[in-house]
Amino acid sequence: MISLTHVTKLYGSVIGVNDVTVDLGAGAYGLLGPNGAGKTTFLGLVTGQLRPSIGRVRVFGERPFFNARVLRRIGYCPASDLTERSATPREWVRYLVQLSGFTPAASLKRADSTLEQVGLGEAARRPLSTLSKGMRQRAKLAGAIAHDPDLLVLDEPFDGLDPVARHELVSLVRTWARSRSLLVASHLLHEVESLQAGLAVILGGRLVASGTVHEIRDLIDTLPSEVRVVSTAPRRLAELACGCPEAEAVRFVGNDTFIVDTRVPRLLAERIGEAAIGEGILVRELVPGDRSLEGIFGRLVQLHRGATP
Amino acid sequence: MTGPRPSPDRAAGESSPLPALAAIVAVARFQIDRLLTPPRLALAAIGVIFPTAVLLAAAKARDASLDHDLGAILLYALVPEAVCMLGLLVTISPAVADELERGTWVHVAVRPGGRRALLLGTWLAAVLWTGAVALLGLLLALLTGVISNGWSLLGPFTILVCLSCIGRAALFALPAVIVPKRSLVASVGVALVVEYLAGLIPAVINQLTVSLRLHTLLVRFMDWQRTLAPELQLLIDDRPPSAQVAAVLLLAVVYLAIAVAILEWRQFPPSEES
Repeated sequence: MISLTHVTKLYGSVIGVNDVTVDLGAGAYGLLGPNGAGKTTFLGLVTGQLRPSIGRVRVFGERPFFNARVLRRIGYCPASDLTERSATPREWVRYLVQLSGFTPAASLKRADSTLEQVGLGEAARRPLSTLSKGMRQRAKLAGAIAHDPDLLVLDEPFDGLDPVARHELVSLVRTWARSRSLLVASHLLHEVESLQAGLAVILGGRLVASGTVHEIRDLIDTLPSEVRVVSTAPRRLAELACGCPEAEAVRFVGNDTFIVDTRVPRLLAERIGEAAIGEGILVRELVPGDRSLEGIFGRLVQLHRGATP
Repeated sequence: MTGPRPSPDRAAGESSPLPALAAIVAVARFQIDRLLTPPRLALAAIGVIFPTAVLLAAAKARDASLDHDLGAILLYALVPEAVCMLGLLVTISPAVADELERGTWVHVAVRPGGRRALLLGTWLAAVLWTGAVALLGLLLALLTGVISNGWSLLGPFTILVCLSCIGRAALFALPAVIVPKRSLVASVGVALVVEYLAGLIPAVINQLTVSLRLHTLLVRFMDWQRTLAPELQLLIDDRPPSAQVAAVLLLAVVYLAIAVAILEWRQFPPSEES
């Protein structure tokens, strides 16, 4: 469905995406990466807004840029908020459907049914300026799906939403994607996980990993990490830590601080904590290594560049 | 996750028989709705009243109604030139910049033919809006009776207003797509350099301007060609009015085709879409 072959996109001297090669078949996918990683550029290439500087982009087997056949089959919901404030959701969605080649009457009908589907039936005639961000996001989503595309592309669709609105939107997208293809860009792993989508991880414009959520999690688990411990009896506690099968190496970085290398930092931290309680040792600090997405991204990049796990 | 189902055929009658035209009309309608705001309506009201106010002031200064020829010259400077130019500057020049600023560009750009529809639809809205303001201004000026035998100007000036709007809206579409974020300044530059400077140069370059065609039509409509000073004869074209009308329409088509081609090929990095 989506195929990028050695694609690089340059904005002058700035790299948007760098030598990306990926093939995504039909189904749901999450494009994961921190802000500025190149996700929006990736989506811009897929949705025909941008041309690659180098390489080849194909969507449904064809070049998407300036290609009405491909664009007709894509629905795109950008990350930016909808600042078209005076129009109502009904007018906005009808307008977009008309631009996709539908008659005014059919556009209005589709706008009404899609707004109903995304839960904006009652607010359909209120100006967008009076709607909450969550409602505007849903109006954007309605605009992206009302012309019945085969591929829905969403850029940070849950950004800035409160938990309730986020949950509702996740359910909507998940329901919609049961029978269509979906590509969602996000910087939050759990959002993509909740969509039960495959993953492609992008960082610094490079695709650093791809696979199912489980494969990515397994990969993450193989990455080295550490647990930092500050204690009043560091040598005794380090001795106990060495006894844990999860510990790979121990080193001291001060009189009261030591670091244990491990691949399962949370589990090891729990074991060290339990050991400290058992021995009555005071622990001032017990910090499992950086498993934040940024930390994981950083290590995936190292792995991508040839570092040994 | 199941694979995607094949795209269903659209129900009978859902697809527009002329999708490109339907999209252009949809954009034009949407843009006109955007123009129906109090500030824009106030601006339009000023555009309607302004020519009459100036003509009345001129008549008051002369302490008599304006004679036919002087009235025609003033009316030409005020309506097909000033009102049309200013109206088009605020409607067509920000065609792309407005979309980028509102965050709506990307929604339109990912539609089949969306970029073309955006430009042509905005052009159509600009022509209709500015034309309506200018024609109302013309009507109001003639209704005051400040120009002697003024109603004879209605037909010729309606043609001049329409051609001014059609041709110049197309001309201003070029800076709108080439330098969207500086389009207003660029359009003023184009108006001054192309329309007013190049239009007054008696050489091949003035053939590419709308000004030359409008000047020529004014002279023909007013039957001034025999009384025109020899040096001013150089500033008009000697072909018949129908050729001038065709030339403006051809210029509009060429300018719009170039603008559409540029816009279809343009890319806006995500950072510019704010």
